[in-house]
Amino acid sequence: MSFPPMQPAADATVSRPHAYHDGRTATLMLSERERPYPEGRLIVSRTDLNGIITHCNEAFVEISGYTREELIGQPHCILRHPDIPRAVYEDLWNTLKAGKKWFGYVKNLCKDGSHYWVYATAVPNMRGGKIVGYSSVRREPSRRKIEEAVAQYKEMIAAEERAP
Amino acid sequence: MNLNFLVAPDFSPERFAGWHLLNTFLQRKSDLALRLLTPASASEQAALVAEGKADIIYANPFDAASMIRDSGYVALVKPVEKSNEVVIATRSDSPLASIRDLQPGTRVALTDNRDVKLVGLRLVEPADLTEADITWQVVESYQAAARQAIQGNVDVCFLLAEAYHSLSRLTKTQLRPLVESHIADISHVLLVHPRIVQEADKLAGALLGMKGSADGQPVLDELGIPNGFVAMDAEEAEFMIDLMDTLLE
Repeated sequence: MSFPPMQPAADATVSRPHAYHDGRTATLMLSERERPYPEGRLIVSRTDLNGIITHCNEAFVEISGYTREELIGQPHCILRHPDIPRAVYEDLWNTLKAGKKWFGYVKNLCKDGSHYWVYATAVPNMRGGKIVGYSSVRREPSRRKIEEAVAQYKEMIAAEERAP
Repeated sequence: MNLNFLVAPDFSPERFAGWHLLNTFLQRKSDLALRLLTPASASEQAALVAEGKADIIYANPFDAASMIRDSGYVALVKPVEKSNEVVIATRSDSPLASIRDLQPGTRVALTDNRDVKLVGLRLVEPADLTEADITWQVVESYQAAARQAIQGNVDVCFLLAEAYHSLSRLTKTQLRPLVESHIADISHVLLVHPRIVQEADKLAGALLGMKGSADGQPVLDELGIPNGFVAMDAEEAEFMIDLMDTLLE
């Protein structure tokens, strides 16, 4: 399965190859432009056990740049920005699969190559003692937290690139 | 069968008559003998629930979460277009231009309402403020919270959006909202105790039939829920609880 195509904006001039966790690769067109977080809102999505988007709220759709139809049924990694280290996503999924709550700062990729920062909390949806899916709720982070995350993630990516 | 119908204490005083009307309406439609309980505080409500006196409860989303997951209460209906949103407001001539201008030591007035406090705390995160960074002033009513902000005794007040919008025009001219939440998925829920689940259909039918009916719509209007109630199934309630869970930290 392939993602719906990005529609890079005129300012999305940086080309970055990106390898996804499942072995797929893509060339992403990125811009430095950050989309403002929608004030007072939560960005909400749900996935099935395989990380396929089954529900997303209006704020999620609006900021992503995709249509709801393009998003539902896609892997959640459609939002993955190459500036976020692989280890962050691995920690996210390992934590959720262990039935625990995960939270952290995440830079998400929009359809036009711009991005937005969130403070994300993801929880396993436990029903009758079993995990049946996952929910993620994002909130607006402070600039200081974003700056800290930027610095930390740069170091982590550098370390990942140095690793054999 | 005699049942208690408990209403969480966070409704506006002007809705008091509406809850009595709803209790009477439900008795008539369901043939159940209902006694309305309107505890004055969250602790009074908790005591009544602990004593097993809440057969039917119109609960705030926080209490609903634990009552469903820990005590097996069953969600029946929720109000339409009446989510628990929060307004953070400052006095009209305050130097604060946005939430991001709030500093550690910010003084906040609010009522003893957990969901208002929680959502409010999430709204001040862009300013890097946590609960410990704030000086809290708990007051008796939302009008008192607004007054504290207007008089400059606090920097901002946290108000249930519905309460903010119901303030008098004069009061609102003396306040300036810095932010209003648009969470949409969190609302009060009407729950029934598992021991009376056999009455659920009767109660749900009565509540869902109110909108537009000659005897139901006036009650809804009095409650400030003009669009009535919509059924809430178990999965929808669980999803709301998952969502609440993400807001806790």
